Amino acid sequence: MTPNDCRCVVTGLGVICAVGNNVEETWKNALNSVSGIHKTTSLDTKDCYADLAAEVNCDTLDDIDSPNEKDRASKLCIKAAKEALQDANLGNFNDDQRVSVIIGSCVGGVLSIEEYYQHGKNPSEIAKMPIAAIASQVAETCGAGGIVTNVGNACAAGTISIAIACDLIRAGKADVVIAGGADSFASVPYSGFLSLHALDENGCSPFNRCSGITLGEGAGIVIVESYEHAQKRGAKQYCEVLGAGVTSDAHHITAPREDGLCLTEAMNRAVKNSGIKKSDIGYLNAHGTGTGKNDNAEINAFNNFFAAENPTLSVSSTKVMTGHCLGAAGAIEAVFSIKALTTNTVLPTLGYSAEQSAALKEKVGDMDYVQNAPKSKELNCVMSNNVAFGGTNASIVFSKQPGDVQSQVAKSKKIVVTGIGIVSPVGNSKEAYLEAVKNGAKPESASIHSAVTNDDYKELGIKMAFYRKLDNLGQLQTVSGVRALKDANFTVTEDNANDIGIIVGTSEGGLGSTYDFEELIAEAGNAGGSAFKFPHTVYNAAGGYLSICSGIKGYGVTITTGPVSGLDSIGYSMNVIHDGQEQAMMATGTDENIPVITELAQKLNVAADSVVEPYAGSNGFVVGDGSVSIIMETEDYAKARGAKVYCEILGYGNGRKNVKFGTVEGSGEALDNAINAALKDAGVSAAEIDAVCGFANGQKVVDDIEKAAYARVFGDKLASMPLFQVKEHVGEGRAASATLAAAQAALMLDGEMASENAYFVSADGSVSKKTADASSFKKILVTAFSAGGSYSAVVLGK
Amino acid sequence: MEEVKNKLKEFFMSDLGVDGSVLNFDTALFGDEIGLDSVDSLEIISFVDDTFGVSMTGVDKENFQSIDTIAAFIEKNKA
Repeated sequence: MTPNDCRCVVTGLGVICAVGNNVEETWKNALNSVSGIHKTTSLDTKDCYADLAAEVNCDTLDDIDSPNEKDRASKLCIKAAKEALQDANLGNFNDDQRVSVIIGSCVGGVLSIEEYYQHGKNPSEIAKMPIAAIASQVAETCGAGGIVTNVGNACAAGTISIAIACDLIRAGKADVVIAGGADSFASVPYSGFLSLHALDENGCSPFNRCSGITLGEGAGIVIVESYEHAQKRGAKQYCEVLGAGVTSDAHHITAPREDGLCLTEAMNRAVKNSGIKKSDIGYLNAHGTGTGKNDNAEINAFNNFFAAENPTLSVSSTKVMTGHCLGAAGAIEAVFSIKALTTNTVLPTLGYSAEQSAALKEKVGDMDYVQNAPKSKELNCVMSNNVAFGGTNASIVFSKQPGDVQSQVAKSKKIVVTGIGIVSPVGNSKEAYLEAVKNGAKPESASIHSAVTNDDYKELGIKMAFYRKLDNLGQLQTVSGVRALKDANFTVTEDNANDIGIIVGTSEGGLGSTYDFEELIAEAGNAGGSAFKFPHTVYNAAGGYLSICSGIKGYGVTITTGPVSGLDSIGYSMNVIHDGQEQAMMATGTDENIPVITELAQKLNVAADSVVEPYAGSNGFVVGDGSVSIIMETEDYAKARGAKVYCEILGYGNGRKNVKFGTVEGSGEALDNAINAALKDAGVSAAEIDAVCGFANGQKVVDDIEKAAYARVFGDKLASMPLFQVKEHVGEGRAASATLAAAQAALMLDGEMASENAYFVSADGSVSKKTADASSFKKILVTAFSAGGSYSAVVLGK
Repeated sequence: MEEVKNKLKEFFMSDLGVDGSVLNFDTALFGDEIGLDSVDSLEIISFVDDTFGVSMTGVDKENFQSIDTIAAFIEKNKA
């Protein structure tokens, strides 16, 4: 049985979608087989072949603090989060570090991008655009002071958020996690799915007509709490959350594998991690979008996985009720799954005639695809699945019993760095970066960017047939990722493709591509979207392309919290390895600087007018970009394959003090917390740290936070502590710079970077520079920050 | 006809990311080298409709084989 300290329970639920503005209303309508699909009232449908959507109808979304500073996606999410917190009898947490927020989204603040582009480019829209705003604003609303992040894996993001919530609790990093997903209905996804001919003009009909999806919108929130914490405060417990499985198809950017092979593996992992039998699952809430490709792949996967041991499993898709709510889908469906479990009621897929029922039976045999009306059934465990663009598969199990969950089974294993791939404005290889550091390279202007060319692809043996499909972000990501694999001498084969996963950290992800898409349809109308460009709007496209290109089929998650995401990718990868999910992980940070990104930074007055150095005391920074990938694996796995080891990853920590999203001022003490948590996790004292690879970018408000925190953490030692700042070479590359700082630490510990320009902060706060020799360093601290008040730290050691 | 072919080639390069140096009028578009797929064919249909007023929706695969075959289809079906 799952030990008590590994048990995760659900103590609160919240939902808003087309069939209800709260759980009670939504569930009542679901039991009455109500569909929320109607003709859209919010979008222009001129020349569009489909005009249906499942829109939320709620006039109280603005009853929150500062509604003008929040996108509709945040408003939907905050509404659901408030309901869930109230349901769980939880209030404001006052920046409690043990409370986290993990929110999935696909298109995030896309309505604010639309508003910005179409109505005078008002800077007040900018901070509402990135997905990262959502979790940050939920955290700000309730005072959650732990790990606050967003999952950007498109339509599987909601499910993955709940899975990560459990991972954090089981790793001892949180007691309470507000987990879920949110997305709003908007022109970009509507036009995008139209261009792919993936909308059903008559409304979606999963496992039935299978001629397309119907978009919905909404949010779902599940309060996931450690069992012990819930017991202690006498909380109501709906059910347990057992294991989850996340995999990558390595197949196609929009289409799932026909054989459902990697979805099957996700379900297999979920069952295995739960410590249950396949036959324990009574109901499966399928992804069931209504496209032929998805539904047939799922039917294949369910037949293959369940037919022998659980031939009469009940299956349904609830998307005829809610529409496809993209990043909110998994979260809303989790709420449905939990209600189903606790009330012993299987929800139906709506819209079947007798003839259609008979046709489905031909395909699925005895399996119980529940249709048209709910059905009573004694349930012990339910499974909820979601799949996404980029080839992501996610599966999770909710249960009345504690199961036998295995977590942190590999906690004692050492994790080492074995490969590094660097794409930055100073060149597209590790060697180019080392050379730039040696030469003291500085940015040539206040806005610089990486430039991947055909030559990079030719050198790496990537076919034009593949790379021609990539947007800029995908190009940066695939080159750095493939270079990291080569550097690690890691050849992905059929045998080890499931041993390795990818976590991409990104600040803005697909925001630039989403803006380009908005620009296109603002001119051409919603009927004029591009099927070629649409896939790039999802934040996990870059990671998806890397999976396709490299063949990596294991864990695949894109996290987006701002720059800090580039270090969090390392921290979460440690967790994945310690959980025994993978033997190896690629942790990356990737962000791009295409013209619109510089434009947005300038509008926000955070872009410097001319080149500035770290600690320059400027109002702005040099806008940069890049992609840095780090291969990390257990020491055993690395030894077994004879890999070269750069260094060990000793520990990881987070801190957060809530400030308004888009700002950092006043949150500095959270950096102390992040550093202290990382030191504790590493079992290292501040006195043992030899150097810091930090995040100073020249902007006074950011750099002052860094200096002040180091002064508090290191005391007198700070004056002689070398601080290295990658941004003096590559500008502010957000998540890419955060991972680059870790890569630089690894290169110093390994001896490849013998010396580098270092900054020293004296007691009065003044900063001096001199070259520091890296040969004696044994332990290096790496730090990163994000708007909204999130900080992370990682300790690397020889 | 040459003009149609050149316009198509320009479209493949600018909108579908194809390297012009390996794209001849008779190069197989859906073969290993260029590697177009079903998503790209949606873009081709949309471009041909917008630019030449010719609908290729539901048209046989063989018409999509190369720039030559698409141009021939356009010539044959132009109003």
